[in-house]
Amino acid sequence: MIQQIKYKSHSALDAMGKKKSFYIWITCLLSMILLCGFALLASFVTSLEILEFSIKIPWAGMISTYVFLVAAGSGLCIINALGAVFGMHRYEILGKRIAFLSLTLIVFGMLCIVLHLGHPERMPIYNAISPNFRSAISWMGALYSGYLLFVGLELYLLIRPDLFKRSLASTGRIRTILTLLTLEKFKNSVLVKLLENPGFHKVIGTLAFLAGISALSMLGSVFAHSESRTLWYGPYYPAYFIVSAIFCGYAFLIIMTIISHKTGDDPMPAQVMSLIFEMAQVLALLLAVGLLFITCRITLGLFNPLQQGPLLLLLKGPFMVGFWGFEIFLMSILPVFFLLWGAQRKSLPSVFAGCIMVLTGAFVMRYLFVVAGQIFPNISKDLPTYLPTLMEIFVLLGVFATFLLVYTMGEKVLALKETSSSSLPEKSNDLIEEHIIKSGVVNERL
Amino acid sequence: MKKKSFINRRQFIKAMAGLSIAPAIGLTSAAGADINQFGKLADTFTCIGCKRCMSACKRWNSLKVERNELVSDKNTDLSGNNWVVVNLRSDKKNKTQRNYMHWACQHCQEPACAGVCPVSAIKKLDSGPVVINEKKCIGCRYCYQACPFKVPRFDFEKRVTRKCTLCYNRFPLNYKKPACVAACPVGALAFGYRHEIIREAKKRLHDLKKPGYIMGIEEAGGTAMITLLPARPENMGLIQAPKKIINQDLDKIRITSGGFMGASIIAYAMYLYSGIIINPDKENNDSTN
Repeated sequence: MIQQIKYKSHSALDAMGKKKSFYIWITCLLSMILLCGFALLASFVTSLEILEFSIKIPWAGMISTYVFLVAAGSGLCIINALGAVFGMHRYEILGKRIAFLSLTLIVFGMLCIVLHLGHPERMPIYNAISPNFRSAISWMGALYSGYLLFVGLELYLLIRPDLFKRSLASTGRIRTILTLLTLEKFKNSVLVKLLENPGFHKVIGTLAFLAGISALSMLGSVFAHSESRTLWYGPYYPAYFIVSAIFCGYAFLIIMTIISHKTGDDPMPAQVMSLIFEMAQVLALLLAVGLLFITCRITLGLFNPLQQGPLLLLLKGPFMVGFWGFEIFLMSILPVFFLLWGAQRKSLPSVFAGCIMVLTGAFVMRYLFVVAGQIFPNISKDLPTYLPTLMEIFVLLGVFATFLLVYTMGEKVLALKETSSSSLPEKSNDLIEEHIIKSGVVNERL
Repeated sequence: MKKKSFINRRQFIKAMAGLSIAPAIGLTSAAGADINQFGKLADTFTCIGCKRCMSACKRWNSLKVERNELVSDKNTDLSGNNWVVVNLRSDKKNKTQRNYMHWACQHCQEPACAGVCPVSAIKKLDSGPVVINEKKCIGCRYCYQACPFKVPRFDFEKRVTRKCTLCYNRFPLNYKKPACVAACPVGALAFGYRHEIIREAKKRLHDLKKPGYIMGIEEAGGTAMITLLPARPENMGLIQAPKKIINQDLDKIRITSGGFMGASIIAYAMYLYSGIIINPDKENNDSTN
């Protein structure tokens, strides 16, 4: 009986398995983190200048990576709202993964900013003491702080039933910690009743959605408010940021779900597989919408004498290869065929390849957007290079590696992998009650 | 007979609407403050390119001397330790017209940098200078992106953004002029109330009896730095700032609301998606019932 109800242990070390490939993966990530550490140490010992290829283009790789990660994280929050707010229950099976992925993406995006700032330690102090309500960065910071709080709470609500089950199956200190985390001792309090109320889940989901989409729009406004940067200026980018963030979010989610199931021994549940193919179709549609946005932007921009110059840099200037090759072909056109073909033929490799293309193209697109936007009006002659310095690349690799490491660990520790019996949040309270009853039986027997 | 009113009804409504909105968006009366604001004149016709202004600036502000900065006569660029530069530039349309350009922070009347600094580290002082509080600066470089003249530069050693302060810290010490103006041997630089400086610039241009251009009266909504040029700034290789005086705050609201409109459309599209696409879960539940 005890064997039957004992919940499968997910302690970090047990769950990580003893696969050789897993250790190789972790070693690779740690090596990249070491390189990043070296670059950061070098920047402290020598000068922060080694992380920038030109003083005239102070926002380059770090800022574009920040935009890439944070936008994808916010896009995931919007996708999550399909299940949590708009009642599409089939999306709820991925709820935990979406919340955790979104949280880690935004945290590591913010790490890029912290590494880029001259004095990051002053940021929380003066943002609290003397915020500038006329500044988009100030609003963005406030909205993302709120967003992190709501998504953190959402993730907690989603993993609470799991933690509860684990606390029942564990003993000693782990049990104490899990009991504290699940607030088991206060199960009759108003707070716990509120946490277990499905309506509260929906409220938190809605707040996270509102904070996420507003923060994302504000991220676009950070660039769009700079009147002197004609490529960025105007209401186009706050809107485009939302569309591009959603397709990046979909691509991240599909890739992470496929990798998670392909690296494990358990087969992918049919429910998840069918959802992936549905998401692939939505992603293809969003890419088409994104292409429409780009076309409108280019066409209208070319008629505007102020925007012609920076746009021509993209169309036939030093950023031509990045724009046509990556942003248009690799990000907007080619993946549409892969995704639609994969969804129709039920081919996961094809969908996976399409999503990889989207993310690669989107990363380059963010870089081009940030760097090309700073050429006008003050750089009259082409710079020798527009590529990030080697040290900056090391730092970026380190940020990505740390993100992947945390995600890999989180995936195992928080048991994000979807199973065919994955419960929906509404049903989670029933499960808790069921387990309380069962644990009572166990205690009696013991 | 109908009595003619001082203002008509439409003007009155407009004025009232303006008054009610102004405090909400933090507008101040720039015109009223103008009279007490100082300005600096840079006369490129008189400048001989001796660069004493550069060294005086460095001395007063304790700025580090950087490599090669005094060697070049053409490409000296602003930096965290170089708040004033003098470069020889020729008119694109008339190559024989070559003048030394004194270039520093223009101290805008409505500084875009102060509007975007997330921690309110940049302030426009009542006397005119736009000043960065280096103890507050977080080094995000957003001010550089917003500045229409691309002046504030990052100091990699101090890890903050720095620029000319118009030597505002000299006034309490009873120095009547900024260090650069005091050091100029030929009177190419002048300092005084902004409206007097504009008058002086016009007088000098009139006396020269040459074609010229006064930069700073309208650029970026007006600046405390007034530069007397032989041709338009873009022809002299300087950054051309927009002349229109837009309300930065209203413009930001306009752009941000564009984003929120996009967000609303996305939310509506999601609502449609959740309704149009048949929900398999619901279908399964219905079929089992």
